[in-house]
Amino acid sequence: MEQAQIDPESSFSQLARELFVLQFEHNTPYRRSCEVRRVRPEQVTSWAEIPAMPTEAFKELELSCLPGEHRTAVFHSSGTTGQRPSRHFHNSESLSIYEASLLPWFEAHLLADGLRLRPGRGSAGKLQMICLTPTAGSAPHSSLAHMFETVCREFGSVECVFAGKVAEDGGWTLDEEAVIEAFGKAIAAKRPVTILGTAFSFVHLLESLAKKNLRFELVCGSRAMETGGYKGRSRSLSKADLHQLISRRLGIPPDCIVCEYGMSELSSQAYDLTIGEKTLPASPFGSRSFVFPPWARVKIVSPETGREVGEGETGLIRVFDLANVYSVMAVQTEDLGVRQGAGFKLLGRAAQAGPRGCSLLAG
Amino acid sequence: MNLPNYFIADQPPEATVNAPILAEACRTLRRNRERYLSNRSTHSLVAVLSGLAGNWLDPNYSFRRLALELGPAASGFSQATLARGLDSFFNQLTAENLRALLEQDLGNDQRLDGMTSAKLEASLNRAAMVCAPELLVHVAAGNLPNPVLSSIALGLLVRSAQFVKCASGTSLLPRLFAHSIYETEPKLGACLEVAEWRGGRDDLEQALFEEADCVTATGSDETLTAIHRRLPTRTRFLGYGHRVSFGYVTAGSLSGMDIRKIVACAGADVVAWNQQGCLSPHVIYVEHGGRISPEQFAEMLAEELARREELEPRGELAIEAAATIASRRSFYDVRAAHSPDTRHWCSANSTAWTVVYEADPRFQLSCLNRFVYVKGAANLTEALQGADSVYGKVSTVGLAAPEDKTQRLAEDLARWGVTRVCPLGQMQNPPLTWRHDGHPALGDLVTWTDWEQ
Repeated sequence: MEQAQIDPESSFSQLARELFVLQFEHNTPYRRSCEVRRVRPEQVTSWAEIPAMPTEAFKELELSCLPGEHRTAVFHSSGTTGQRPSRHFHNSESLSIYEASLLPWFEAHLLADGLRLRPGRGSAGKLQMICLTPTAGSAPHSSLAHMFETVCREFGSVECVFAGKVAEDGGWTLDEEAVIEAFGKAIAAKRPVTILGTAFSFVHLLESLAKKNLRFELVCGSRAMETGGYKGRSRSLSKADLHQLISRRLGIPPDCIVCEYGMSELSSQAYDLTIGEKTLPASPFGSRSFVFPPWARVKIVSPETGREVGEGETGLIRVFDLANVYSVMAVQTEDLGVRQGAGFKLLGRAAQAGPRGCSLLAG
Repeated sequence: MNLPNYFIADQPPEATVNAPILAEACRTLRRNRERYLSNRSTHSLVAVLSGLAGNWLDPNYSFRRLALELGPAASGFSQATLARGLDSFFNQLTAENLRALLEQDLGNDQRLDGMTSAKLEASLNRAAMVCAPELLVHVAAGNLPNPVLSSIALGLLVRSAQFVKCASGTSLLPRLFAHSIYETEPKLGACLEVAEWRGGRDDLEQALFEEADCVTATGSDETLTAIHRRLPTRTRFLGYGHRVSFGYVTAGSLSGMDIRKIVACAGADVVAWNQQGCLSPHVIYVEHGGRISPEQFAEMLAEELARREELEPRGELAIEAAATIASRRSFYDVRAAHSPDTRHWCSANSTAWTVVYEADPRFQLSCLNRFVYVKGAANLTEALQGADSVYGKVSTVGLAAPEDKTQRLAEDLARWGVTRVCPLGQMQNPPLTWRHDGHPALGDLVTWTDWEQ
């Protein structure tokens, strides 16, 4: 009963401010940036006042509270070849916080219909995951591969497949034969599957199925989660077209296709749909809204003034992620979103935001 | 706007344009050219063009008023920016300059009228005349109106029928210019067509390309290559790819009393057309060793841009463009906090203008819309080394240097591949006789017939 009386706003603010004190003290480049902006922890009265670091700064600076010798893993942003990636340093403790943030929110959206609790499916009630990325072992700097591996370990059955491969140039390719084989087996065993991948890997898979003139009717209860498509590259397909194709080629209905919004600089993810919810979240804007877990919040800020935009207005997405304990909690992205209540509708990336990238030079 | 329905671009957006309509329009243009334009004298066309320019410079001219009234919403440029840009173009379009252009590119201002000889040719018993393509198609990139207006004027001068294809949402000024021609001389207006549609309509473009004798296009290298590939071999192609420009301020020019003037010139180049053209500076290089440092120059430039914003506001930006500026600014916020080699100055509560100072002389592409880099350099050699990443892609260098130094600098820049050197402050005001990307704009349109007498 006592817990019910906690005001989520003030507890979030309290935790955020405490974390800011720690990060100000232990993250030297972050402190320097705050000092230049003349912001010190004792002046901050609300979480929204905590200075955010732009994602580009993760390329330039080592934004970490972990001393060099304690860093055991680093996640890089995906991006254009030849560009310096963002770096998010971790150790075992920060990775366990990352996982503690990831799992319940993933479960709440992808598995909320209680799929994994149904008896007689997969091995010991676990799910078959088909990941369109490489394993974390072969892509050690990918936060996405780590995320999928964590999800498989927690919720997946022994039949889980990682169909991505790392090419010699570091890019990812897809072993579509492995996916096709896994689909065939799952259908034969009347077993639903959960497919996890980037929007690009889905496009790749669907194109390859189209070429082979293959179409699957995956078992009812199958679902897909797609992510990305905005970072560093432009989408080759609109989201609606992609989802329509997934439905047509794989037999997964649109209300079982979830979009995820995450990035290597963060430790929490936002999703735009809860599978099994009777009605879609009411939105006056007629589209699905991304929502972060209660331990992360977004502000949509005007690029002109830096102030929060009004409901229904467009601005840059700023994330305050309490799970980013050992780096920087407040991250300013270069993605544009429309403010929708506590969530947002994702529009995509500001064109050529990074100062180094340019189509003229690439040619 | 109640303009008569003369051009395809005048039709309501829901009106359908299709390949047969375009093919028919091209045939009509050819017929009209034959009847009304092919036999016109250079003298009369020069008079029409210079007369039109005079009208456009008149604040009460109806088409100018429409351009300034509707232009801000259509183009995003403020009224003051548009007015300045139009003045810069129409001030150039004089009878004298047109004749100078004919002399420069064709060696004689009667070349289009018949066989004539310049002095040297006469001594060799030779004469020559030029003919222009019957149907000229312009595929306009659309970020700035002036290049399109210039293309139309030159096309008219050489007596070509012209089809101007504008990028989606950019036809207002070409349309108004076309209407002003129509109003002056309906028969000349009948040799002109203006249309706009969103890119990617291969069917429409193909219909147009099949009819054209010559196609001019501006755009990215990929766009140009794609257009060129689709043209029949008999069709001449003049492609103008994306170029970048920069300013160069010598230490010597910063030793006199004119520092403020030089800064104002740099400001004028940043403000003109909100840096949207290939001739606008991304970077201003400032030599070390002058009375003020490159960093101080940057600070003064920021003050100048703030002042100019009051007089000639940049105007509203699309959210994506504003977001790009905001993202770059926050990146430089961080970099400046960690390095004395970077500083930046920004307009408050808006993205109206930004100056980034970096000691590093490496050329940096701006995200435009009044976002400019100031970089220090020991000398021109160091600046050009810094600009290596844009080697072969530099159009204009705006120069501020003492008189005795300019010739040498211009020659060094020419050898490095720069195609235009002008005084700082004039970067967006190329003269009519300007050789576009190093090639004669008028000369490239025509075909010569030599007559050995």
